[in-house]
Amino acid sequence: MRDLVFVAFLVALFAAGLKRPFLFVLAYVYIDIVAPQRLTYMLLNTVPISLIAVSLAVGAWLLVDDKRDARFAPRQFLMVILMLYCWVTTTQADFPIEAAEKWSWVWKALAFAIFLPLTLRTRLRIESLGLFMVLSAATIIIVGGIKTVGSGGGYGGLNLMVTNNTGLYESSIISCVAIAIIPLILFLMRHGTIFPMDWRVKIFAYALCFACLLMPIGTEARTGLICVGVLGVLMLRHTKRRFLYLTMAGVLAVSAVPFLPSSFSERMDTIKNYKADSSASTRIEVWKWTWEYVKEHPFGGGFNAYLQNKIRYETVSVDEAGGVATQEETLILDKARAYHSAYFEMLGEQGFPGLFIWLAIQGIGLFRMEAVRRKYLHHADEGERWIGNLAEALQHGQIIYLVGALFVGIAFQPFIFMLLGMQIGLDTYAKRRSAEAAWRPMNEALPAPA
Amino acid sequence: MIDNFSIGLTHGLMLLAALLILLRPELDKEEPPKPMPKPKAWRGRDGGDA
Repeated sequence: MRDLVFVAFLVALFAAGLKRPFLFVLAYVYIDIVAPQRLTYMLLNTVPISLIAVSLAVGAWLLVDDKRDARFAPRQFLMVILMLYCWVTTTQADFPIEAAEKWSWVWKALAFAIFLPLTLRTRLRIESLGLFMVLSAATIIIVGGIKTVGSGGGYGGLNLMVTNNTGLYESSIISCVAIAIIPLILFLMRHGTIFPMDWRVKIFAYALCFACLLMPIGTEARTGLICVGVLGVLMLRHTKRRFLYLTMAGVLAVSAVPFLPSSFSERMDTIKNYKADSSASTRIEVWKWTWEYVKEHPFGGGFNAYLQNKIRYETVSVDEAGGVATQEETLILDKARAYHSAYFEMLGEQGFPGLFIWLAIQGIGLFRMEAVRRKYLHHADEGERWIGNLAEALQHGQIIYLVGALFVGIAFQPFIFMLLGMQIGLDTYAKRRSAEAAWRPMNEALPAPA
Repeated sequence: MIDNFSIGLTHGLMLLAALLILLRPELDKEEPPKPMPKPKAWRGRDGGDA
């Protein structure tokens, strides 16, 4: 039954694409995020729907779309360079088979992020991309939110429809991405034109934000909690009554504690008692190992180079019983531990050049969104101010991601690269609008013929 | 049950959004922006509303 629903939905989307080819791009975005082929047992998982969607999207753009104002931004060049560089490191990788496996999806994420801005020529296209990204992620987030309210979740215990832990279905990734898209959800609620703001849109948007906030609780991913903190700080930026906001946030946080499952509080406690926690200690050891590794291999070891690490460390836990504190040290031996940080993932796999290109892509994004935000937030033409609001939402989402990425290996997360593609699209769109607006008065300034 | 509710809700909304997008011509081509307001010095000279 579910198979038929997905098939009908995709057929409808593809049919819409025949009338308006940009819908093919939205269809690919949907397939890449939701991966309906993984939610079904037959029909869809035998057809390469992702390949079909991307071929239609690129083909339609090449054949029929208007390419007069398609521009290649510096960040797209950087992504091309990063893609070529990763291809080279893959051919030289320490683990060629495993590296090739990761390369098989990384290049697609990069290529789509390079292609995406070329299609984002109008406000409606940019908005509809944001809406499809949010609603696609919402398919997973709503499930997580309701199940968290119902059962309290648990680390690795929250069933998000599929159990294979890939893409956004992985608990640490979804809890970081869910928080990162909250600014985008609020933007769409306030400035959306597809679903203009009314009480229904408001209820849905706030309920979805609430579900997003529940993801770190449901998945018990500690990174998510840090992301919530970053979101709170960022929201201060345009809050008029800051004292009231801080008081409300404090009261809400304190009053939420009794409702949290005890396993959640225990797990969050490990953030401060990280020495006793093997998962946190492993990370630090892996990061040390990565640093030593790149000192000898400055160009990185190719994708999945972490498989060769062997680490040994001691965890220290203090047990207080009857007023006597006993310290217990446990020796732990481990191997092939993942990076647990996008920065170290880039460093270990792609070396210094890869890390620098990746940081440049991220850094330019933050900088450009700030420039666009400042220019448009109080623009003389009210009809253009949404550009500033969207730039702010995309910048805040990226900051949340960059902080979350300190603790999760999500350097090439396709969803985030779509967000970067959207940033580039918005930036080039704003530049074009600005040029068009500045050009017109020259004609008007000419005196009318007598 | 919860899974189906979520899938039904978000996919219904995406379908509705796709339909609304289809009906709008500004998906592929939109109006150029309003011209920027003239600088003040210009207004004074040509006897505008300054």
